[in-house]
Amino acid sequence: MTNARRRSRLLPNAALSVIGPLAFIALWWVAAASSLFPSAVLPAPPAVVAALYEWAFGNPVNGPYSGSLGVAIAASTQRVLVGYLIAAVLGVLIGIPAGYFRVFGRIIDPLIQLLRPIPVTAWVPLSLVFFGFGFKGAIFLVALGSFFPIVVNTIEGVRGANRMLVRVGRMLGANQFQLLTLFILPASLPAIFVGLRVGIGLAWVLVIVAELLSVKSGIGYTLIDAYGVNRYDVVISAMILLGVMGFLSDRIVVAIGSILLRWHREMSIHAD
Amino acid sequence: MPTDVVIRCEHVDRTFETDDGREHAVLQDIELDVRTGEFLVLIGSSGCGKSTLLNIMAGFDKPSSGSVSVLGRPIAGPGPDRAMVFQDYALLPWLDAMHNVEIGLRLQGHPRNERMQTAREVLELVGLGHAMDRPVYKLSGGMQQRVSIARALALKPAVLLMDEPFGALDAFQRGTMHRELQRIWKSTGSSIVFVTHSLEEALVLGTRVVAMSPGHRGMRGEVVLDPEGTRDPLSAAFTELKHELFALVSADTPAASAFLE
Repeated sequence: MTNARRRSRLLPNAALSVIGPLAFIALWWVAAASSLFPSAVLPAPPAVVAALYEWAFGNPVNGPYSGSLGVAIAASTQRVLVGYLIAAVLGVLIGIPAGYFRVFGRIIDPLIQLLRPIPVTAWVPLSLVFFGFGFKGAIFLVALGSFFPIVVNTIEGVRGANRMLVRVGRMLGANQFQLLTLFILPASLPAIFVGLRVGIGLAWVLVIVAELLSVKSGIGYTLIDAYGVNRYDVVISAMILLGVMGFLSDRIVVAIGSILLRWHREMSIHAD
Repeated sequence: MPTDVVIRCEHVDRTFETDDGREHAVLQDIELDVRTGEFLVLIGSSGCGKSTLLNIMAGFDKPSSGSVSVLGRPIAGPGPDRAMVFQDYALLPWLDAMHNVEIGLRLQGHPRNERMQTAREVLELVGLGHAMDRPVYKLSGGMQQRVSIARALALKPAVLLMDEPFGALDAFQRGTMHRELQRIWKSTGSSIVFVTHSLEEALVLGTRVVAMSPGHRGMRGEVVLDPEGTRDPLSAAFTELKHELFALVSADTPAASAFLE
């Protein structure tokens, strides 16, 4: 009964999920074909696909938007990766003791609450002054942006972890370090991964901010550079590419999480 | 100190501060020895201080005054010499049964082979030899509590502290666990302090049952049982003991004393 119902719904579900995207592309195509927008400003989907192909596989002698896609992806990805890893390590390293030790939490909490509402984009001028227009500035923005959701969720995770585990750990003879790493950290991982997922999204937002404003390479730089010479086919190509990159990195974080958190997922199924 | 005492409580007081700032004495002048190899049951209604006393023995709580020692050493905090079995099992859900049991030995730096060997032995002792690599959240409540007991036994503690360990189980599972715990206690020669509010559980399991009551801020009296004697809950002798214990536990609650007189 349930099986049959599941199977009968499987196909329509897959069909349902492509309706939105297809409708969006159709709308885009109609708008591009109409006389509302000049085709230079809103190129039709085939023109964008051609630009994307040229960006990826074209001969570099044809110009900056030919055959440079791989380099742009590598540059942006590297910044996201380094900045995000710094944020993840610092977020967990600060979040765990801040959630666990009441005194440390009292000290660190107001600081986080004070700094967090400042949009990370507002840090751009200071970032330029302190870290310059290159790699370091971009890393700073990415790390700062993804740090806050990670640290806040880590603190929440630790505070929400079963207090009984602390008793168990102490009874089993764990020292303070073992208590935090073998008992509190695994128990907080579900919450930490919520933060890591929000963080990876913000990392891509901020790497683009950095590339739009200061750094002279990467997908975001290509986007603003192409805008400067009215190459909207490249602008839209860069947008699509950013969507794909953001989606893929989110999937990677989710995949790592689902491996580490199998117990958590299955436990909630068992509780039903 | 005589060597047959595992835990000694001397003049133990425990006072809590209520929300309006008044002092509320839960335990007052408790004198209690846990003797080697005995199955000591602490029984009483909620608020009688039985769990507080157990937590003090475990080192999770401290007496307001008085002293508690284990094998002659004052208790400074929780430790593997006093292994606790919690009512809600408190297992680590990200580990399988085996690793839940061996983690205590890992923390004390025992080599891997020895840890696995011990874990296997105690899991077999509690009847879980077939489920060692199962994630603990996939086990039934009774099996999870067996893992928790195995985890405690693996520590080779001086005393096993059990805080209403079967409270969350249904009556059938509880009956099975009573027989199992009796068997484990007899085969390991452990000393056990067991907290419950069930008269029947106390008399089925204990060799000595200490009755506690809120009004007396501690102990009311005790019933000593023959370790080899029958524990048939349907026997007349058992019913008589149950009455005796009920009188001890509830003597200071007005309704109950009226009923008994």
